[in-house]
Amino acid sequence: MTHLLLDRLARLGRFLWSGWVGVAGLALFAALWQQGHEAYGDFILPSPLATIRATGELLSSAETWRLAERTTLRAIQGFLLTAALGGALGLVVGYSAAAMRLARPLLTIVMGVPPIAWIVLAMIWFGSGTGTVLTTTVVASLPLVFANVAESVAARDRSLEDMAKVFGAGPLQRLRTIVIRHVTGQYFSALAVALGSTFKVAVMAELLANIDGIGVALAMSRSNLDVAQSIAWVVIIVTVIFIIEYGAVQPIRAELERWREAARPWGVKR
Amino acid sequence: MTALVLDGISHAYFGRTVLDRITLRILPGELVALVGPSGCGKSTLVHIAGGLIEPQRGRLTQGYRRHGMIFQEPRLLPWATARGNISYPLRVAGVDRTTRHDLTRRAADLVSLDRKDLDKYPVELSGGMRQRVAIARALVVEPDFVFFDEPFTSLDVALKRQMQDLVIEAATQSRFAGLFVTHDLAEAVRISDRIVVMDERVRGISGERIVSLERGARDDAAVFAAVQTYLKEDPLFSHIHDTDERRIA
Repeated sequence: MTHLLLDRLARLGRFLWSGWVGVAGLALFAALWQQGHEAYGDFILPSPLATIRATGELLSSAETWRLAERTTLRAIQGFLLTAALGGALGLVVGYSAAAMRLARPLLTIVMGVPPIAWIVLAMIWFGSGTGTVLTTTVVASLPLVFANVAESVAARDRSLEDMAKVFGAGPLQRLRTIVIRHVTGQYFSALAVALGSTFKVAVMAELLANIDGIGVALAMSRSNLDVAQSIAWVVIIVTVIFIIEYGAVQPIRAELERWREAARPWGVKR
Repeated sequence: MTALVLDGISHAYFGRTVLDRITLRILPGELVALVGPSGCGKSTLVHIAGGLIEPQRGRLTQGYRRHGMIFQEPRLLPWATARGNISYPLRVAGVDRTTRHDLTRRAADLVSLDRKDLDKYPVELSGGMRQRVAIARALVVEPDFVFFDEPFTSLDVALKRQMQDLVIEAATQSRFAGLFVTHDLAEAVRISDRIVVMDERVRGISGERIVSLERGARDDAAVFAAVQTYLKEDPLFSHIHDTDERRIA
């Protein structure tokens, strides 16, 4: 029991420690940004410090928190919907070669239609409300999750299933103990990508359909030509994505992928 | 009472008949080796006997209670530890946690797996250790019949020998019957009570020989002598090394 706890602590420590590399990357980014600021001036690209100040100002008002909450809630709803639908559909379709072939051109169509076109359609169907944002986010990120899960199911290791069959596992047990477990790794990678795109599309939909949220605030600061504030909004949204990805998606994934970690006994742990 | 009866089993892949009316009975506690050139349908026969493939014709009667199988590759779940892999059949059977723990431990001891290795993932184990885990997984259900599908083909000579000893030991202890597929005649002579020879040309069994010495009492000289006699003097074994891998597809 104690060594399990220690193992967990060690992994948590490594995870936090790896944050330094992330900080180094961010510092590099800030340096480039400062360079750009010095080259183009305050109006085109405010300095990182000015942006941080603008973000601080925004965060001190309750309105900001309300807007961020609205957008975040919508995006999370869309994300959960994508995760559930994409996972379930992918699982079902991956099992059947025929359904897989049918799904491929459909995927190409859905992915080929630009998100902006979906926004227009969704506005006509649902008006300017949460429905529009949800539709657009789901349509934008579902294909990715779906395709990843379906491909992963189709490429599953059948010899493991045969093994399970020999030891008396029925189809449902095989699904539960082998197929789903095999798929989760890829599922969570896809979810990490889908999370970002859900937020991006949610903000875009809000901006274009004029729905109360960060998107509208962004549109406001654009019409005021307030570049620092625009970037501050971006910083806020990116921070939210950061928190969700590294606070929820990646830890779950790391927990499920512990065996891959075990394959790297030394050196840089990613 | 027989442990396993195959009665008139036939099977074809895409119209190519691999097995044609095969009949074989295995007694309780008897280890039967199935030898023959690659592509003669040995593996198919074992998979049919183990219930993995439905035969196109013929009847299969299982007179035993539980079986285990050891495959050519270990076929371990990469995301589960050695312990999780060994206890997998018990989990499938719905055995409760504490019993599972005890049985897993016993099976691991049977194949001399270290306690500390039980918490490792398959990627952290060597090839021999993985195969040990696979053997433990087959033995954990306390089977009275074990299928071996060329289990040691990919291991090196020393390791192969260790594993064979392990099987001989376990078979003597737990008195299970078994069907052991191999293309290594020496392995067949070392392990089995009876050697059944399969032949591609007759798409079935061309004959069988009882291994004369008691299992476990066969030393290297006896095994070597038996193999030499079979290969040089017995016409039954004359085609055992005929392999044209280009035709197996």
